[in-house]
Amino acid sequence: MEMDTHLMFDLTARLRLWLPFAIPLLPLLAAALIAVRVLWCSPSGDRAEPLTVRIALVATLLPLLMLILVAVSGGEGGGNERVDLGVWFASGQDAIHLSFMYDTLALTFALLITFLASVTLRFSATYLHREVGFHRFFMALLVFVAGMLFIALAGNAAVAFVGWELAGVSSWLLIGYAYDRPTATVNAQRAFITNRVGDAGFMLGIALAFAWVGSLEWAALAQAHLDPLWTGLLALGFVIAALAKSAQVPFAPWIARALEGPTPSSAIFYGALLVHAGVYLLLRLQPVLEQVPALLVIIAALGLLTAGYGYLSGLVQTDVKSALSFATTTQVGLMFVAIGLGWFEWALWHLVLHALWRAWQFLASPAYMHMVDARPAPSAPTWLARRSGLYRAALQRFWLDSLTDALLVRPTLNIARDVRAIDETVVSRMVGLPTDTLTEALSSDADRVVRGHGLAGALLAWAGGQCDRFESRLILQPGGGRMGAWVGRLGVLFQAVESLLERPRYLLLLIMATLVVIL
Amino acid sequence: MNTHTNAPTSTDPQAASKARLDALLHHLEHVLPAQAPIRDFVHHNTLHGYQHLAFPDALRAARELTGAEGYLPPERFRVLYAEGRIDATDLDAALEQADIPDLDALVLATCTRRQALTAVLRFPFKRLSRTQLSWQLAETTALSRWQPDVLPTMATALNAGRPEAVAVSDLWSACLEVLGLQEALRHPEELFEAMPDALVDEGDSALVDHHLRREAAALLGRLLGQWDGRAPTVLSLRSVLLGLTGEDLLEILRPALIRPLAAHLDQGLAGWHAPSRGQGFYATWRALAERDPVWLLDDLSDEWAALSERLPDAPLDIVWQELRLLGIPEAGWAAYLERLALEIPGWAGMVLQRSLARPASIAMVDFLAVRLLLERLYAQRICRRHWRIEASVHGLNAYFQHNAAELLVRHALFAGKLPEYLADFAERLVREAPHRESSALGAAAVEWSRVAHLVWRWRETPSVDRKGGASVSGTVWPLFRLAQHLGLAAADLRAAGEIGAQRLLACLTTLDADQSGQVWLMAYERHYREQVFAAIAANHGRGSWTTRETRPEAQLVWCMDDREEGTRRHLEEINPRIETLGAAAHYSVFINWQGLGDRTVTTLCPVVARPAHAIHETALDPAAALRYTTRRAGRENARYRLLQGTRRGLASTAWMVLAAPMAALTLAAKALWPSRVGRLAEAMRRRFEGEAQTRLRFTALPDAPAGTVEVNRAGFDEGEQADRCQGFLRNIGLADGFAPLVAIMGHGSNSLNNPHMAAYDCGACSGRHSGPNARLLAAMANRPEVRAVLATRGIVIPEDTWFLGAEHNTCDDSVLWYDQDIIPSALQPAFAALREQVDAAAQLHMQERCRRFASAPDTPSLKRAWRHIQDRRWDYSQPRPELGHATNACAIIGRRSVSRGVFFDRRAFLISYDPTRDADGRVLEGLLLANGPVGAGISLEYYFSTVDNERYGCGTKATHNVTGYLGVMEGASSDLRTGLPRQMIEIHEAMRLLVVVEHSLDVITAIYQRQPPLQELIGLGWLVVAAKDPETAVLHLFDPARGWMAWSGTAESLPTVARSVDWFAGKREPLPPALLTEAC
Repeated sequence: MEMDTHLMFDLTARLRLWLPFAIPLLPLLAAALIAVRVLWCSPSGDRAEPLTVRIALVATLLPLLMLILVAVSGGEGGGNERVDLGVWFASGQDAIHLSFMYDTLALTFALLITFLASVTLRFSATYLHREVGFHRFFMALLVFVAGMLFIALAGNAAVAFVGWELAGVSSWLLIGYAYDRPTATVNAQRAFITNRVGDAGFMLGIALAFAWVGSLEWAALAQAHLDPLWTGLLALGFVIAALAKSAQVPFAPWIARALEGPTPSSAIFYGALLVHAGVYLLLRLQPVLEQVPALLVIIAALGLLTAGYGYLSGLVQTDVKSALSFATTTQVGLMFVAIGLGWFEWALWHLVLHALWRAWQFLASPAYMHMVDARPAPSAPTWLARRSGLYRAALQRFWLDSLTDALLVRPTLNIARDVRAIDETVVSRMVGLPTDTLTEALSSDADRVVRGHGLAGALLAWAGGQCDRFESRLILQPGGGRMGAWVGRLGVLFQAVESLLERPRYLLLLIMATLVVIL
Repeated sequence: MNTHTNAPTSTDPQAASKARLDALLHHLEHVLPAQAPIRDFVHHNTLHGYQHLAFPDALRAARELTGAEGYLPPERFRVLYAEGRIDATDLDAALEQADIPDLDALVLATCTRRQALTAVLRFPFKRLSRTQLSWQLAETTALSRWQPDVLPTMATALNAGRPEAVAVSDLWSACLEVLGLQEALRHPEELFEAMPDALVDEGDSALVDHHLRREAAALLGRLLGQWDGRAPTVLSLRSVLLGLTGEDLLEILRPALIRPLAAHLDQGLAGWHAPSRGQGFYATWRALAERDPVWLLDDLSDEWAALSERLPDAPLDIVWQELRLLGIPEAGWAAYLERLALEIPGWAGMVLQRSLARPASIAMVDFLAVRLLLERLYAQRICRRHWRIEASVHGLNAYFQHNAAELLVRHALFAGKLPEYLADFAERLVREAPHRESSALGAAAVEWSRVAHLVWRWRETPSVDRKGGASVSGTVWPLFRLAQHLGLAAADLRAAGEIGAQRLLACLTTLDADQSGQVWLMAYERHYREQVFAAIAANHGRGSWTTRETRPEAQLVWCMDDREEGTRRHLEEINPRIETLGAAAHYSVFINWQGLGDRTVTTLCPVVARPAHAIHETALDPAAALRYTTRRAGRENARYRLLQGTRRGLASTAWMVLAAPMAALTLAAKALWPSRVGRLAEAMRRRFEGEAQTRLRFTALPDAPAGTVEVNRAGFDEGEQADRCQGFLRNIGLADGFAPLVAIMGHGSNSLNNPHMAAYDCGACSGRHSGPNARLLAAMANRPEVRAVLATRGIVIPEDTWFLGAEHNTCDDSVLWYDQDIIPSALQPAFAALREQVDAAAQLHMQERCRRFASAPDTPSLKRAWRHIQDRRWDYSQPRPELGHATNACAIIGRRSVSRGVFFDRRAFLISYDPTRDADGRVLEGLLLANGPVGAGISLEYYFSTVDNERYGCGTKATHNVTGYLGVMEGASSDLRTGLPRQMIEIHEAMRLLVVVEHSLDVITAIYQRQPPLQELIGLGWLVVAAKDPETAVLHLFDPARGWMAWSGTAESLPTVARSVDWFAGKREPLPPALLTEAC
């Protein structure tokens, strides 16, 4: 009897060791399987659909079962477990571990993910029947589930970052689901790029954690007691990532653009799961954040701003999906407020309840009109209704998109153009790459004086050409020939640098660079 | 911007041109979709605005204006041909009917024009590009085997004993020979390598310049001269700029237009609207725009400042002013405004629809004013950035007259014609254009000119494909394929020589895309029509109830709806002593209906009418009624609060905390057992609300004033009741032989998560459930007072006859019987039996419906079929709860005996009418006038949504997003999508409705000649009409050009089975009619 329990315990222990890794891997494998199927078998027609659905459902229901198992048998583990599968990769003394965690927080979020994913996949099997992108949709959704599970179960920032990226990519794939419509692809791109800003924050966090703590493990970060300023900077990176992923001000507009995909993907991404990933990240970093009250204040303030932004903009939305998406933004904003106030536990509760409700509401959104019997929404409060300035702001979504365009996108494009120009006129020439193909095409042969055949001929031709060039450039040209040209060129270069510096964006860059160096 | 100051001083011509402008706006009704807000969806001819044209002309005109295809693509028709849904005789007959001259003339010694055209229709003969041809020759067996789609018999004949490879390559050489061409094929990469040579040999560049200038002048004339009022269709400024810069200003301005517009039209999705909303759309927009920082942020502040400097107050003035500022000549205004409206047809159509509604919530001119303002605003930005000019015809004209090279290069680039290396150069110049310093413009001109020269040279290279003219890929290849399909060997072709070959090639272009579509359509329709005619002819004398010598056991009047054909057929198979009839399910009572506990009044009549009578449902027991109404209101309010509350405000968190656990349970349960959960919830709802026994309050007080549209009369008085009953009974030819039970069956459809729900409901009742109409008519006909009046008018209803009202749910095939408790006890057993039979028929019908559902099992048992249908009805992830009218194809107006005993595969509208009681055709005239447009509306909406779902339909439901309770968008900022979603038309067979009328030719002809609306519908080919003689099996088809044509087909080989199930079991495809023995 005792033996048996021992054996059982051993088995569960082993299982518990590998489960966290298997759980996110299963959907990823399923996605790969569907991808292989699409590539090699080009499935089409009604008969090809059930297999894809079955693969997808197995790959989310199994993890759901496993998680329930772990949760139920969680007693012995003390509920705060970390599983280290070894070193993922290492460089010198620094190593990144393949580690997972299944404490209450992780289990709660992972259960939520697998449950909502299974339900949504089941929904999509019927809803997307005969869609051109049927298999593609399931593949992207599974990649997303895998990503979310990595985020949920990650034991360190690196594993979480893998999930972070998987989720981002799948979101991009599904916003651009109807890639024949320009609006859909433009919005997909926009959402993706906004998220890249958040990713930069994440990477900053990782880099600083490496530099200052020497480990990426959440547990290590929680125990590290650095100088508050350092902790603040480190956490700031992650907070930026969380703000972007959860569509908080100032990153908020991307989520309203993300509603181009099929209804079930809108439900699970922007109603239920992806949008909560940022909140989860902050919950995960609770011990770190608690050391930096200033940062908490910022989080709360931005959350409050977002809630206000979502509330006001939500009031003027005339389509169901946008209305629900702004409602989501509002609620997630409130979760940030809760975190800012230190109510981490409440934020987790809020997250779970909101995800469940919003998933249902989004999935049923095509019937919204019928469910409310087309009764007009309750009017905005009278103090608000008369304010046309605020109305304008709400209708324009507080100009966040235009502001981003004016302050970030266009300047970046301009810088890119300048860099390209420098590349073409200076760098290419220095490296000896062909520059202006157009001019070349028209004039390349003009100054070739000798043509030769064979190796000897080519050598002779080259020598002849060099002589000719020497003669014509250094000596024959008016105004000093090559020497003069050198001096002149230097002058032009200086002028260019000066004119660049006159433009505000470079001045700004310079100031920023200086700041970075000083800090 | 100095054009602003040039406002005309004399007011008279100005006023006149504004008046003309105002008149122009009404013209838009013809071209814009006329779909009502989606909750009131009613099927409607998509091309209603073109109904004054003949069907093929209308399709062509619409395609030329909007680009929407009017016919199924030829590939689809070829598949139908392969499936046997169109055969050679159909195609032949269609060619005959299409009035093509000299069909039987010889094109070659062995081949007639008819043969050639048939081959051209049946197989694709595309001109290839050089690269495609090289691929064909290099990578396929084109030169050693016959083409894969050549019939084997033809191939054997072509070989004529020689080895295949020899015969094929001989034919290829013959094709080249007769056309005098050589196979000068080069690999595309060789073409590229050939380029520099061509460049180095620089010819006379002045000559090239001269050519370029002439070409540019012509192009400029085409682009900017198109608005002189002569061209039937024009481009907008946006398209011109798109073609020259690659920037689509519509993509950019769409959110700026749609957000305020949607907010203005919103019917209640948003809780907050612009404070100035009541002052009209233009005023609201202006109030918002005037202090909007968005112009500054979007780099539009200069443009906006110039524009807003002098904004007139009246939108008509804006339209007038903007059109003048754009430089559009007045003659072109109509076409230009039409084009603008058509660029976002969905929203423009909704604006128009709302502007015609009472009360109007927007004016069309407001919308166009804003549309024009935004167009010019954003166009200004593009023009400033690229060329530093005004966005107007004059500005563009002046600029490009001096920059011919730039015009040509830009045009060539964005037309997608340039090879990659040239496109690279051109793209770079376009990219740099907005960032050039003014001092560098001269240098830029030189570069444009250089690229223009390169493009010119590239085009002049002999190896580049050119339109028209003979070439190996463009002419020889199609000839090569055509010869094979006509069985012409090399010798035949050589004998024919060049002239013969050219005659053959001319056959390829004899029919343009529209004409071949029309021929295919006629062939397709003919195939089905022959089957229907054969069935009707064979059925003559078989079906019962030609007269009612014996009394039927029961009579059931169903909606004429094609979906009811199945249930009726099964019911008759179960009990042949039952008679079924069909009528439009408003059942002649047009009412404003308010059921017990309904918050609002529902209009139950055709959408073109407005009722003058109001009907209320009241409860017998006031206590039960109170309980029912309060609980129902409580439930609905709670749901409303929950759904609205959780999407806004801080309080929503509290709502959510309460609702989330429930949501989680629902999500899980619905994923596992959709129908069980749905039915459980329904049962719980009933338990909670309780059942209240109700009656209709439908008899008006004798002294009540007559009802009007504005002030309805509560109920009908005795005379009105008798009139309605009489009209109804006369229409369906039921004036004697009443059965003991006469059931009037309304219908409706219930499904979850379906924005297009109204499209599945009763079209005769404006997309609502027609049960109340059925119930009302039955109740009226049961009143002794009414029967007494009817008796004086010759309709004697026996005392032992009882009328019943019921509602059939077309989604789950359930039937709800009204007022069962007052059925006389003597009839209760008969009712119980009838009810059982109807249920059994519904069971069989579900089994039949399953065969068209992809996810249903192949041969389901009755039980399994029931479960499948239930799952559909209750599954909120199901975008195809039922298939609606997807199978509609024909209509039969006549006695049931014409169609009874024939399996019509749920494809026929069945309208009861007795020609023997209507010698002068008065009743028929009314039926045709009322039902003709309804049938045409349903059939044509399905037709157009099927042939071009992207433009006439609304695409897939998967990305739909309900907007403003008005309609659906794709995503969050698209055009409003009108028409039917793809999920509704997948199995539809796009053909015009065939209406078979049972009456003599004389009577039908007389009606046709009396009625211009019918002349339009039938004479112009929107409906196809045939006549069946009441006494004999003779059928005539009406051809608008030739008149009545006697049908000469044969009715002998029709399959005969006992019951429907023997015919449909295990089959999934559309089925031809079969004769049923059990139902007769």
